[in-house]
Amino acid sequence: MSKIVQITDQNFEEEVLRSDIPTEVDFWAPWCGPCRMVIPIYEKLSEEYEGRFKFCMINVDENQQMATKYQIMSIPMQKYFANGENVDEILGAVPEDTIRTMVESILSRFPADEAGRLKVLLTSWVEHNKEHSEKFSKWVDKASNPEVNQIYSSVLRAAQEMGKANERLSQALTELDGENK
Amino acid sequence: MNKEYQVVIIGGGPAGLSAGLYTSRARLSTLLIERGLVGGLITETELVENYPGFPEGISGLELGQLMHQQATKYGLEILLAEITGLELKQGQKIIKTTEGNFTAKAVIIASGSERLKLGVPGEKEFAGKGVSYCATCDAAFFRELPVAVAGGGDVGITEALHLAKFASKVTVIELLPKLGASRILQERAAAEPKIEFRLNTRIEEIEGEEVVKGLRLRRVTTGEKYTLDVAALFVSIGIKPNTAYLKGVLPLDAAGAVITNDKMETEVPGTFAAGDVRHNSAQQAITAAGDGATAAIYAEKFISE
Repeated sequence: MSKIVQITDQNFEEEVLRSDIPTEVDFWAPWCGPCRMVIPIYEKLSEEYEGRFKFCMINVDENQQMATKYQIMSIPMQKYFANGENVDEILGAVPEDTIRTMVESILSRFPADEAGRLKVLLTSWVEHNKEHSEKFSKWVDKASNPEVNQIYSSVLRAAQEMGKANERLSQALTELDGENK
Repeated sequence: MNKEYQVVIIGGGPAGLSAGLYTSRARLSTLLIERGLVGGLITETELVENYPGFPEGISGLELGQLMHQQATKYGLEILLAEITGLELKQGQKIIKTTEGNFTAKAVIIASGSERLKLGVPGEKEFAGKGVSYCATCDAAFFRELPVAVAGGGDVGITEALHLAKFASKVTVIELLPKLGASRILQERAAAEPKIEFRLNTRIEEIEGEEVVKGLRLRRVTTGEKYTLDVAALFVSIGIKPNTAYLKGVLPLDAAGAVITNDKMETEVPGTFAAGDVRHNSAQQAITAAGDGATAAIYAEKFISE
C-alpha cells in the first residue's frame, strides 16, 4: 500500500513545512506523461521509508498557490524539505537510483536523532576549520608586506591552537561514530 | 538463483509492448523490463494522428496505456527496474537489474530514445526555469507569455500547436532553411496566427535572471545577431537512442543505435533490437510497433530451432 500523502494549498504547511521527518513533494499534473512515470517509484519508496521519510504529491493544476510560491515551471518537479526548508530538488522523471541516492543524502544531512545531528554539526565544524587553516597557510606562504608579517606571527600561534582544538573535535567525532556502532 | 524466462524484453514503449504481445501470444514466457513509464516516449505526445486505427487521433498517454493493457492480456509480465548488466553470449543470456537477475533464451532490446539537448549556454542553468523538453507537461505554466520552440520537425511543430493554446506567441526556430515537419502539420501551423517561424536561425544562448528572459539568435545566412524575448524555450531538435548500457555489449552505429538485419537480429544470435533504438529507425510509434512484432516472430523462430 502506497503511503504517499496528497497535498493541497491548504495543508502544505501542516504536512510539509511542519513535518518532523524529511519530506519530498512531487509537483505534478494529470496531463503530464513523465509525471506518471515517477509515481510508482515514489509509491514503492513511501512504503520502504515509512516513518523515516515522508512522500507527498501536489496537483499543480488544482493547487496553483504552492506552484507559484515554489516557481514551478516544469513538471515533474520533486522538491525536498527538511526542518521546514526546501533543501534540494530533482527535475524531471529520473531513475529510481537517483531518487534513492537523494533520499539517503537528505537523511544523512538532516538526521532525526540527537547523535546524528551532533555528528553533522561536528563534521561541518571540523571541515570548516580545516578549510580556513589551509587558506591561512597559503596566505602566509605568499605574504610579503612586513607590517602584516608582524601580525601574522600572533595569528599563527592562534592557528596552531585552533589546529589542536580541531584534532580534539575530530577525536570526539570518532568516539561518537564508535558509540553509534 | 536467476529467474528463467524464454524471452526478456528491455523497454516498454510501442516496440517492446508489441514484441511482448506477440511472444506472450506465442505462449513464450516473457518478462518486459521498464525503468519508468510503460508506454514510452509517445506518452509525451498530446495527440497522435498517424497511428492507424484511430481516425480521430488518440492521446499518446492513452495509446501507451491501451498498448500496455493489450500486451499484458496474454500473460506478459512487466517489471519496473533498471538494467545494470547484460551478458548476451550464445545460449543462456543473463539480464542483471536493480530488482534481481534473470536469464532468457532470447533478448529483445527496445529501450527507445530520449530527447536531444541543444548544448548551448543557459540550457542547463535554466532547466525547469523556462527551458523545457515537454510541451504537454509545461505549456500551462506560460499562459499569455511569449515562448519559443527549438526545432521544426514533427515533434517541434506539434508542440508549437499545443503551446499556441496557452502562450501569447510561439516562435519556431529552425536551423535549416526549411521545416522538417510533415505537410499537414506545417499547414496547421501556418494557419495559426500565434505561430511565427525563424528559419536558418541558430540559438546561441539562453539568457535570463533566475528564469528565462530571452534567446540570443543568429541568422546563419547573413550572420546577423539579435535577441528574442521569451519566457520559455521548448527544445525538440530530435532524439537519441537509449543505449548507454549497451556500449561494449553490442555493435552500435555512430549515433549510438543498435545495428540489426531485416529480421531485427543483432550480431549476437538470439538478441534482437526494435524501435527507436535501432539503426535507421523511422522513429515513429507505428514503425516501432512493426519492428517489435518482427523481432518477436524471429525470436520465436530462434527459440524453436
